[in-house]
Amino acid sequence: MSAPLIAPLARADAGDPALAALIERGERLGVPDETFPLILARAPGYAQPLMRALIVSHADGAVDHKLKEIIRILLARRAGDAYFAGLRSKRARDAGLDEATIAAGVDDYERSTRFTEAEKWALRYADNMYLNADAIDAAFYAQLKRHYSEAQIMELGAFIAFHYGMQVFMGTLRAA
Amino acid sequence: MAGDPAAIDAGFYDELRRHYSEPEIVELGAFIGFNIGYHTFFGTLKFYPMFAPDGRLVDQQESARIYGAAPVSLAGAAA
Repeated sequence: MSAPLIAPLARADAGDPALAALIERGERLGVPDETFPLILARAPGYAQPLMRALIVSHADGAVDHKLKEIIRILLARRAGDAYFAGLRSKRARDAGLDEATIAAGVDDYERSTRFTEAEKWALRYADNMYLNADAIDAAFYAQLKRHYSEAQIMELGAFIAFHYGMQVFMGTLRAA
Repeated sequence: MAGDPAAIDAGFYDELRRHYSEPEIVELGAFIGFNIGYHTFFGTLKFYPMFAPDGRLVDQQESARIYGAAPVSLAGAAA
């Protein structure tokens, strides 16, 4: 990995037990590694809430974690962020998500037979959000509601928005 | 960052450092990233402010008529 344009703090200098616990949770999950939170730790008070939001939106909730892992990698590719695109969730891998399925989800989910119609709508949601947001209209949400509860749609939307935003930022830092 | 993130390179960060500390740059970067993500998401949900520029509480239909797709400055209305 190349050095990010803003260097992470040394772990010992982060000095926040709650942040240390979140970093350990991220390392157990595989996403993120310590680079992201230790860069954020340069801004006092920022690392802990943003790290918590990143992990909770990815690992908790009522939407399948494997699907969110594919979406996360798809978004990182769209954002041009090699750092987050290169990370992998160990939990998703242990649940059976392999690289071939990730590649199918990122490169050609529409024609792939690996995904259900519900999964394809979630992938379309992420794929269109920052490339063609106008396509996400009332009819699009009506289709999403055929497959997901409103709580799940909010979970997906918040997950997509937060991860994409952090990926764009990390992409500018050339962290990988 | 929103329109041309590839332009934000090492030289760009060097320029930022002439004006801001590294904690301030991280604060700005995270803030901007957060807003890029959420403004687009919220935009797809088509919801509007609860208050008109003159401070009245309005329903979503009236708010949509007031704000539409164009930003309206609350500060300008109060001046």
